[in-house]
Amino acid sequence: MQNQVTKLIWRRHRRTFVLAGLLSLLVGVANDLITLHTLNQMPGHTELVKASINHWQVYEGGSFPAYSFWLFIVAWALGLVLMNQDLKDNFNQFLFSSGFSRQRVYWTKLWQGLAATFVIVVLTLAVQYGIFWVSLPARVGFHLAWPGLITSWGYGLAGSLGMFAMCWFAALIVGQTGALVVTLIGFTLSLSGVAAIFERLNSKGGLGWDLNGAQLAWLSAGSWVVAALILFIWGAYLYQHLSLEHNGEYLLFPELRVPVYIVFVVYVTGVNGFNGTDGYSTVISFLVAAAFGYFWLWRPSIMAKWHRWRSQREG
Amino acid sequence: MTLQVNNLSKQIDKRQIISDITFNWAPGEIIGLVGRNGVGKTTLFRTMVNHYVADAGQVLVDDQPIQRTPTRQRDIFFLDTQYNFLSNYSLKELPDFYSVVYPNFDRQRYNELLRHFELNAGDQYRRLSKGMRAMVNIILALTSNATYLILDEPFDGLDVIVRENIATMVIDEVADQRKGFLISSHDLNELDGLSDRVLLLKDSQLAHDYNLEDIRATAKKIQLVLPDKTIPAVLKEHSHLIRVSGRVLVVVITNYTADIDQQLRALHPVLLEELPLTLEDLFRANLAHDTGYQLLK
Repeated sequence: MQNQVTKLIWRRHRRTFVLAGLLSLLVGVANDLITLHTLNQMPGHTELVKASINHWQVYEGGSFPAYSFWLFIVAWALGLVLMNQDLKDNFNQFLFSSGFSRQRVYWTKLWQGLAATFVIVVLTLAVQYGIFWVSLPARVGFHLAWPGLITSWGYGLAGSLGMFAMCWFAALIVGQTGALVVTLIGFTLSLSGVAAIFERLNSKGGLGWDLNGAQLAWLSAGSWVVAALILFIWGAYLYQHLSLEHNGEYLLFPELRVPVYIVFVVYVTGVNGFNGTDGYSTVISFLVAAAFGYFWLWRPSIMAKWHRWRSQREG
Repeated sequence: MTLQVNNLSKQIDKRQIISDITFNWAPGEIIGLVGRNGVGKTTLFRTMVNHYVADAGQVLVDDQPIQRTPTRQRDIFFLDTQYNFLSNYSLKELPDFYSVVYPNFDRQRYNELLRHFELNAGDQYRRLSKGMRAMVNIILALTSNATYLILDEPFDGLDVIVRENIATMVIDEVADQRKGFLISSHDLNELDGLSDRVLLLKDSQLAHDYNLEDIRATAKKIQLVLPDKTIPAVLKEHSHLIRVSGRVLVVVITNYTADIDQQLRALHPVLLEELPLTLEDLFRANLAHDTGYQLLK
């Protein structure tokens, strides 16, 4: 039974996996070639990897990406596509009447998605590191160290897992592809505001945690993993109750509309409030979030009322 | 083997679409599901196969609820003609999916039927005409070898040749009593000669469950020409008038007895002959008043 569902999911998504892998390799190779070209222009002996690679913290070098930022985007996109594509292409209809339990389908799709993401990450890193290994000019040193690599990989994988989970969950509850992408881009960008809050809390002026770089990296990685686990388990519960009559609507679970609205308003107001300079900006962000959120979540009925009003006026 | 639908209900956007639907279905039966457009036929199918989560009720195959024993869903085939994933694939790729889900999927027969109906296996499903898609849908249904096959408006918008092909395939398939069909239609003519039992949906409920053989055993459709223009009492009392054209009357008598026959002959009609009784006649005679059914002719 498990083999069959694995085969079915693989058959369905293998093109996506291969395409994502090829695209990731292409971007990785292109980045390396640009770096090599820049290094070839530089005179004298130089080191590609900075000495900070020897420390237990996320490596942030100039030319050498220990864990390419691109790999976060790959995980982000895969989480979104794997869940959204089956909804958009009506493959869920086939899955739900396939004779496999929804839980089996959900977890199989999840582990295949995560395994594919991991393979793509490993392959991209291997190719990127390999290109530097074989193509660097003799006058450019290439010395790696485990502390920086392990921390960067751990943080990178946890972050990728978080990105994957965030998009996976969002694509499970949002039924409109365009609106889903806009929502996710907005939320992903807003995470920089959340990171700024953590930095303020960590500073001596905040809660005074005063964590060093490595501790912050592992705390952040741990937070991503915990958040991902919560989203995956919550997603499994929702998937079991997913009823396809709301296909094409913004929220596939209409009963989530009010909770989503409250969370959105509190989140936007909170992020702006923490990072804002005065109370006015907090009040304004609250009003804007409340109005925008209401329009966004209730726009079908708002638009229907608008059309009714207009046709009555014209008629 | 039986499939039981027990008290199935589904509400969408606070509107009750189907309510307390209950019926049994055995292999060998071709059941017609009729009802006006928007009455909930497709919703019933989608709820039966778990596309929609039912608010109440359950579907059982051999007394096993499919919600708790999902593998029993493989005994049911339903291809949603409006929302399906086939558009992204070529015809030769489709068995790769269906053979995983339906253990007895007959790939060889699938390819033979494609060739028989001159469908190119390399063509993308989305590039096919409506009639060709309908043929592919029915081919997938038959070759899945599932026991219970649900066809949603399989004749809708198709030309007479394709309709006849599909009807012939359906009839051939139930001959060995190992498969059953549940076919929805809003046009009674499409089900004529095909269904032996008809379920009628009205106001979100199953209004009637008719065995057509039982009805046909007692009913008669008669064309008669009477010497004068007044309609005699026996017809007023026992028949349903289908058509009047001058002195020619076409009536359906749902409970035709020897006594009625004698009374009719006593009127000395110029012409008295029996006509083939269609499904539409039966509905016109039995149900037109209380079902609100749309009679299309």
